[in-house]
Amino acid sequence: MLKPILLVEDDKRDLELTLIALERSQLANDVVIVRDGAEALDYLRREGEYTGRDEGNPAVVLLDLKLPKVTGLEVLEAVRGDSALSSIPIVMLTSSQEEADVVKSYQLGVNAYVVKPVAFDHFVSAIADLGIFWAVLNEPPPGSLRAVRRND
Amino acid sequence: MGQVTVDSLVFDASAHRSAAHCIIEFEPARAVDLAENPIYSLTRVFLPHLQEATSLAQLCRLAAGEMKRLTGFGRCLIYRFNEAGDGEVLAEDRDTGYESYAGHRFPSADIPRQARDLYLLNQFRLIADADYLPVPLMSVTAGLGADAIDLSQAQLRSVSPIHLEYMRNMGTLASMSVSIVIEGRLWGLISCHDHGPRQLSTPTKLACDHLGQLLALQIRSNETTSAVSDGLVLRQITLAIVSRLSESDGTLQQLIREASLLLRLTHAHGAAVVLDDKVWSVGEVPDEAHIQALAHWVSGMGVEIYESSALASHFDAAKDFCNAAGVLAVSISQVHRHLIIWFRPELVQTVNWAGDPRKSAVSADGRIHPRASFASWAEEIRGQSKPWSPVELGAVAELRQALIGIVLRRAEELAAIASELGRVNKELEAFSYTVSHDLRAPMRHIAGYVDLVLDVESKTLSDRARRYLGQVKEASTFAGQLVDALLDFSRMSRSALKRKAVDSGLLVDSLVRELSRYDRPERSARIEWDIASDLPTLHADPLLLQVAVRNLMANATKYSRHRSPARIAVRGISREEGDGIEVEDNGVGFQMKYVDKLFGVFQRLHQTEEFEGTGIGLANVKRIVERHGGTVWAHGEVDRGARFGFVIPRPDTQLSAQRGEPHA
Repeated sequence: MLKPILLVEDDKRDLELTLIALERSQLANDVVIVRDGAEALDYLRREGEYTGRDEGNPAVVLLDLKLPKVTGLEVLEAVRGDSALSSIPIVMLTSSQEEADVVKSYQLGVNAYVVKPVAFDHFVSAIADLGIFWAVLNEPPPGSLRAVRRND
Repeated sequence: MGQVTVDSLVFDASAHRSAAHCIIEFEPARAVDLAENPIYSLTRVFLPHLQEATSLAQLCRLAAGEMKRLTGFGRCLIYRFNEAGDGEVLAEDRDTGYESYAGHRFPSADIPRQARDLYLLNQFRLIADADYLPVPLMSVTAGLGADAIDLSQAQLRSVSPIHLEYMRNMGTLASMSVSIVIEGRLWGLISCHDHGPRQLSTPTKLACDHLGQLLALQIRSNETTSAVSDGLVLRQITLAIVSRLSESDGTLQQLIREASLLLRLTHAHGAAVVLDDKVWSVGEVPDEAHIQALAHWVSGMGVEIYESSALASHFDAAKDFCNAAGVLAVSISQVHRHLIIWFRPELVQTVNWAGDPRKSAVSADGRIHPRASFASWAEEIRGQSKPWSPVELGAVAELRQALIGIVLRRAEELAAIASELGRVNKELEAFSYTVSHDLRAPMRHIAGYVDLVLDVESKTLSDRARRYLGQVKEASTFAGQLVDALLDFSRMSRSALKRKAVDSGLLVDSLVRELSRYDRPERSARIEWDIASDLPTLHADPLLLQVAVRNLMANATKYSRHRSPARIAVRGISREEGDGIEVEDNGVGFQMKYVDKLFGVFQRLHQTEEFEGTGIGLANVKRIVERHGGTVWAHGEVDRGARFGFVIPRPDTQLSAQRGEPHA
């Protein structure tokens, strides 16, 4: 089975639009949705309500920068500091390109950084490109299955 | 000692001690010349008037008259020495037949230093008859030689032959001098002359001596009083200047607004305030370049107060300006060239000299010869002003202290304002960033959902609903663009400048390709580009420079797109302040009265339907160019095209521009 995509997004509209964009990009991966940074870490570490989930890391984490409780940067830092998680591809999604955030994200080892475009068609193609690159084209870390496009 | 009778001859006897001897002098007693004892006469006549004399001139006239009354000399002068030892006649009283010396000056050589020292030692001196026959000293004691007796304090000692020659030159047989000694210094003389011999009784001599002392006391008291009252007046002026200044913004150039006070403070004819490279002046002053040169020279000395009444003899460049022979400058800062300078013009004063002071008085044999001719000789004193008085110097010193206080307080206030401004500025930037950042998400949501509705429900929507939703989509997209532009603008002013040499020719070529590609083919085909072959190399941040030039070129294509053909010229600009580029089009142009609005954020001169855009492009250009220390300009004419350009400083001049740059 394909590894899922973990989507970390607190804003319900952004969540819905991102899901539609992912759907339109025709990725076969499941999408796991969490609503804040703490929940994202619980999922990744299989803690809290995710204690019982199946083993395995997601194919990619789409991580919103501004999140309640634990921010995107803090999630990124925690993931990169955890040897079991450190090789997961992480794409930072954000509303704008604040330079300090970009620099910090790259320092913390983010794989890509995407500013959500205002026009919806641009947004769809950006999400599609991301999904294809990280879930399909990119060679996944050892131990994870290669993602396959649904209509391949 | 009174009178002594020897062999029925009556003598006036007086005695004094020298270092080794007691010297007793006898001279034939003379009847008192006045009806009453001269001392009483002096007290009765002179003293009451003394109190009334308020000016030095009045006092001296009074003393000259009194001296003449007491002694009957044909001419009595009151004579003052200046610092160089030259004498000036302040007042005289004379009989007809005596030449007037009023206002005359006598060169210091006429009363040489040795003579002036003797006047201090021996404050009363009478030569009753220049034609007298000197008699030698005779010794009756074996072993006591005449040359061993110190006669310098003796009244009857013989006079130097030089002095007798001087007297005969002046047609004077009798002369008398009473020293005016103030604070141990020979201030001047009461000098009396007569064409004939003139003997005086002892009481008269005592009265003359007393008159000299009274005059000295009164002069000293008047000088002290006038120094105090002058000082008070100047102090009030200082206070007035300081209080006016502290009511203003406290900058030193405000002093020029108080011109009359400023000039009265030092009795100057002109004044200037120099703050580094800027000069403000009032009244008679040298031209600005000369003031700057002087300020440079004065501040180079590192003194708090500089004064000169003969500037050209110390400062060569001053020979070029005659309205500043006298200069008084105070320095307000040790770090900066902040000076206040007062000027006095050259006092081309005509001075009456009794004798030419420039003629050497020393003959080949080294002896001092009084001048044979005493016709008045006028000399113009070149390059000198009236000297600055101690009271004036005191006043400017006080003003300086007060100004430093004001300047320091002002600097503290400014520093506080600057830090507050910096804080507010940061807050504003953070605010504009947050607002635009937070607005971006809802704009994205609106655009996204509208797109979804149009996409998913397209078939069930009425044409009208589709058109309405189309408007919503367009509006939200435009709002999103505005927010993005604002974010770019705010980032533009925060990001660091990374300068390097940029070949603007290559930059322009690549932009021509880019703009032609984005344009629809049929339109770009109609743009005639005229790119100069000698576009300059600019020292700038390559990314920011590209943003600026792209804006100018994109504007040119946008506003000329209805022209057939559209002509766009790009040329290099080289000015004193730097190099740059100018872009000219033959498009719709603009009215020059709106030129100031063009470079403002969100300022647009056209309706959005006519020409799309966020109204932030030129604001970006301006901000980028100004961050490089350069300047932008625009020229336009409605329907005849527009010209936009900028220059930025060359690398060698950019150091100063970089200092003013906000932190990145």
